[in-house]
Amino acid sequence: MPFREINSKMVEATVAPGQTLFSQRGAMLAYRGEVSFTPNIQGGQGGFVSMIGRRVAGEATPLMTVEGSGTVMFGHGGHHIQVINLSGDTLYVEADRLLAFDGSLQQGTMFMGSQGGVMGMVRGQVTGQGLFTTTLKGHGAVAVMAHGGVIELPITPGRDIHVDPQAYVAHHGEVRNKLSTAVGWRDMVGRGSGEAFQLELSGSGAVYVQASEEKL
Amino acid sequence: MFRLQGSKTLAVDLTGDAVKAKNGSMVAYDGRMTFKKMTGGGEGLRGMVSRRLTGEQMTVMEVSGQGTCYFADRASEINLVALHGEKLYVEASNLLATDAGLRTGTTFTGLRGGASGNGLFTTTVEGTGQAAIMSEGKAVLLRVSPQYPLMVDPGAYIAHQGNLRQQLQSGVNFRTLMGEGSGEAFQMRFEGDGLVYVQPSERNTVGGDV
Repeated sequence: MPFREINSKMVEATVAPGQTLFSQRGAMLAYRGEVSFTPNIQGGQGGFVSMIGRRVAGEATPLMTVEGSGTVMFGHGGHHIQVINLSGDTLYVEADRLLAFDGSLQQGTMFMGSQGGVMGMVRGQVTGQGLFTTTLKGHGAVAVMAHGGVIELPITPGRDIHVDPQAYVAHHGEVRNKLSTAVGWRDMVGRGSGEAFQLELSGSGAVYVQASEEKL
Repeated sequence: MFRLQGSKTLAVDLTGDAVKAKNGSMVAYDGRMTFKKMTGGGEGLRGMVSRRLTGEQMTVMEVSGQGTCYFADRASEINLVALHGEKLYVEASNLLATDAGLRTGTTFTGLRGGASGNGLFTTTVEGTGQAAIMSEGKAVLLRVSPQYPLMVDPGAYIAHQGNLRQQLQSGVNFRTLMGEGSGEAFQMRFEGDGLVYVQPSERNTVGGDV
């Protein structure tokens, strides 16, 4: 089910019987109709194993299940909201940036350290983002939060995109990521340009970048 | 080659040339880029010394390469300014990027710096090319002509260009001292011919409490 953007900081979702929506707990602003909100202790679908995975991964953002029939408005902390429509591909996003998403999407967590070897391991530490990222796969819509507006940059073979790890929001598609360094000897002795680490994304898909280097 | 992607991200297309930008403001790029911190804002030793003294120490990096580089800073709105040989006066904290060909320097602004919560010095950008300045909320561009001077809240002032004289004027009177302040104790008065950029938000100023 699609999200309707009311303004840059608020989205509206339509819920119909038989359909489920997950949202970050407490992100509901208003609703019309007969809608119920139940805390989702399991942290989404996928049962017990997924829950454990989430605990270990630190990707345990409390979610709630939204069901019924009506429309629900979501927003959180005055953050900007970007709606991303998935058509069969996988979205990679930090769990705390998820505002709401289609219940039909398959959830999982992915160990980012497995990409890019040692630098991948370092990435989590450097960026302040976790080593694990939530994945959503299938057909449906996702509303993602960002500080400031979001730009979407396409990634095509032969056209890699480099992103400041602090400004990175999410990406989707068949994309490889690795942490690249632009660190020379000079940067090491404290004359850095402030752009010492970059996330290098290659393949085909798109990356979402926020107009700020602040975390949510 | 400066263009806005949304209102909060600056995209700069580079074809082997360079751009000066606030340190750490790159959010993404494609192509090949190199980032180099500039010593003292890139005006040699004198510039560096004056920067140290004035506190207008913006740390600048030079970005050069081929491709598109995207800049943003704390979700601020970005305004593009085209300069044709004239001088732009801007607070260092509001300057995001300039063409590498533009010269940057500092000038003494007098008392108003103290009241506006900024330093006593302001950054100048001069030459021909483009600059990107930041504001909290969308900035408006107000024209000043000899018949129409303009008064601006120091906390809402961002930048100005043209042939303008500025002075700080105080609205402090007996009532203010008796504790009935209007909250608008100080204004910047601009006279002459030029443009002033004003943001719809106020930084904390000394005058704000009076």
